[in-house]
Amino acid sequence: MRLTPKRLLPVIAALLMSSAAHAQTRDVVDDLGRTVAIPVNPERVIALHEPLLGLPLMELGVPVVGLYGRAEDGSTLMGVDFMDTVLGEDAKALGISGIGAVGNIDLEKVRALHPDLIVGTERHRDHAAMLSPIAPVYLQNSTADGVTGFSVEADLAAALGREPAFAAAKAAYEARVAEVRAKLPADPQGRTYLAVIVFDQVSVIRDISGAIQAVRDLGYAEAPLPEGTETGRGGFSAPISSEAFVRLDPDLLVVMNTFIGDAQGEAVIRQRLDALAPGWDRFMKPAKEGRILYLDSRRVSTPTIASARHMLDAVEAWAAR
Amino acid sequence: MRIAQGLDGRWSLRLHSGLRLRLLDLVAVAGLSVLALAVAGVALSIGTTELRPIGALRALLDGPGAGDAAFAIWDVRLPRVLMGLMVGGCVALAGAMLQSMSRNPLADPGLLGLSQGALVAVMAASVFAPSLPQEALPLVALAGGLAVGLLLVVLVGNGGGGAGGSGMAILLMGIAVETMLSSVTTILVLYSPPELSLALGDWMAGSLFRSSWRNLAAVAPWAALSLPVVLLLGRRLRSYDLGDHMAMALGEPVRRSRLLILLAAVLLTSAAVTAVGPLVFLGVMAPHLAHCVSPAGGRARLVLSALVGGILVVGADTLTRTLVGEIALPTGLSVVIIGVPIFIVTLRLHAVRRMRMA
Repeated sequence: MRLTPKRLLPVIAALLMSSAAHAQTRDVVDDLGRTVAIPVNPERVIALHEPLLGLPLMELGVPVVGLYGRAEDGSTLMGVDFMDTVLGEDAKALGISGIGAVGNIDLEKVRALHPDLIVGTERHRDHAAMLSPIAPVYLQNSTADGVTGFSVEADLAAALGREPAFAAAKAAYEARVAEVRAKLPADPQGRTYLAVIVFDQVSVIRDISGAIQAVRDLGYAEAPLPEGTETGRGGFSAPISSEAFVRLDPDLLVVMNTFIGDAQGEAVIRQRLDALAPGWDRFMKPAKEGRILYLDSRRVSTPTIASARHMLDAVEAWAAR
Repeated sequence: MRIAQGLDGRWSLRLHSGLRLRLLDLVAVAGLSVLALAVAGVALSIGTTELRPIGALRALLDGPGAGDAAFAIWDVRLPRVLMGLMVGGCVALAGAMLQSMSRNPLADPGLLGLSQGALVAVMAASVFAPSLPQEALPLVALAGGLAVGLLLVVLVGNGGGGAGGSGMAILLMGIAVETMLSSVTTILVLYSPPELSLALGDWMAGSLFRSSWRNLAAVAPWAALSLPVVLLLGRRLRSYDLGDHMAMALGEPVRRSRLLILLAAVLLTSAAVTAVGPLVFLGVMAPHLAHCVSPAGGRARLVLSALVGGILVVGADTLTRTLVGEIALPTGLSVVIIGVPIFIVTLRLHAVRRMRMA
C-alpha cells in the first residue's frame, strides 16, 4: 500500500490529537488548597506513599511508575510489601521503580522517571515545593481528620477522572458485602465493633482503613471509646491504655499486630496482647465468648477496596467457624 | 603591610590598620578553605545523574537550565552542599563560642539545651499546628532556642552571681534543661500518629534532604544576623580563656558579652536546627579539630572551627550518600559515625605530638 498524503492525513491527525490529549491539563484544587494543573490522562505517576496513595491509584488503573520506599529494581525497602500482600502484584514485574533511599527522596531519580504527575499526602507539603519543578504535585489528605475508608480513593478518582473505574470496583465490593452479611450468624445492625492494633502499645484503629470501611458497611457501629481516648487528630490509630482496653465490651473485637514485620496470626497477637495487657483474654467478654477476629494487618490496613475485601473474607471465615 | 616576629616568637602579618594576622593561622585558613572547596567539588560530582567532575564544573559555570546536568547541579546538589557548609559552620561556630565563654571544652549547643529547645519548638509545631507555613519554622525554632537561652540566664542569674552567671553554672543548668527537653521530644514522638512519628524521627536524626534554595533563603538570614556579634566578640574570646576575673581586669564587660555570645549561639543553632535538625556532637568536635590544625585563638579559631564544621557535614553526607545506597543515613548520624573516629584519631595524634615536643 502506497503512503499517499491523503492516507497519511488521518493518521497524523490521530497522532496529533492523541498527543494533545496527553498534554492537556486541567486545574484542580488539592486538599491543601493549592491549584495544580494535572494531566487529563496521567501516564507516568509517582506516589510518595505506597499504602495510602500508591495502592488506591493502582486500584483505579492509574499507571504508577515510581513509589517511595522501593529500590531502583522495585523491591521493597520497607518492612512490608503492601503491593504484594494487598493487591497480589509484583512491583518488579510491573516495572515500578523506587525514588531514592528511605528518608531521602532523590530528586535526580524522580526526574529520570519522567513523571507527569506526583501524588503526595498532606504531610508532603514541603516535598511539594522541591518536586514541583519536575512535575505537578497533587497533595491528597490521607490521614487527616475527616478521611474515612475509601474517601482517599474516591477523591483521587474524581481528581484524575477515574470515577467509572472506582464505581465499578465499588459496585462489585458492595455485592460482596451483601453476600457476607447474609452469612453472618446475627444481623450486625445495632451491634458494635472495636478494632485495635498492637504497636508498642494497644491502639484503637481509626476509620481510614479498608478493614473499618468493610466492618461498618456490614452494619456494625463503633463501640463507645473510654473517655480521654484521643482519636480526633487524624492518623491511622490512637493509643489507648491497657487498663481501658480490657474493660471494653464490643460485640465484635478486631485485633491485629503491627504491620512492621512478618509476625501475624492469632498466636502472635495473643502473645503480644498478653505482654501489654496480662489476663486480657480472661477479662474481656468478646475474647471469652469468641467474638474476636484476628487479622493480618498488612492485608487490611490500606484505604483500598482490596483491603476491605480481605476484611470481608476474614469475617466470612470467622462466621463459618 | 609587613611580616614581623612577635614576642612569642611567632611570625605574623601586620597590616597598616594595625591588625595582626598570624601566618600559621592564615595558612591554616587557606588550607581548610581549599579542602572545603575540594569536598564541595566531590559532592557536586556524585549523584544519580552521572557527571564527571569536569561535567559538574561545566554545568556549574553554565548556570541554571533545563537540562539534566543543570538540574542535578543547580536544583539538587548545590543547595545541599551550601546548606551543609552553612549548618556545619553554624553549629561549629556556636560550639567554639560556647566553649570559650564557659571555658569548658565540652560546651556545645546540644549540651546546653539550645538545640533541644529549637527542636522541641519545631516538633511541637509539627504535631499541634501542622498547617503552619514552612517559612514560620525558623521563627518557631528561634523562639524555642531563645526560651532555653533565657531560662539559662534566669536560672544561673538567681543562683550564680547575677545575670550572665558563671560559665560552669550555665553548663550545668544547660545539661539539666537539655535532659528535660530530651524527654519532651521522646514524648512527642511516642504520642504523635505513627506516620508523623516516623517523619519526626528522621528529622530528629538530622537530614540535609530538605535542602533547597527556598530553605536556604529561609534560614540563612538568621545565621547572618549572628555574624556581627561573632565578629565583634571574636577578638575578645582570648581574654575569656584567661578566666572571668582576668577578663574583667582587662576591662571586658564579661556579663554583657556572655549574654551576647549566648544570643549568637541561639541564632546559629536555631538556623541549623530548622534547616536540618540537630547535629549532635559537631559543636564539640569541630573546634577541637580546628585547634589541632592550628592552636589559634579569637576570630581565627572561629573561622577555622566553622570551616571544619562545614567540611565534616558535607564530607560525611557525601560519603554516606555514595556508600550506603538504598537506606539513607541521616546526616546527623553520618557526621557522628564518620566524624568521631576522625576526632579520636586526630586528638590522639595531637596528644602524641605535644608529648614529643614537650
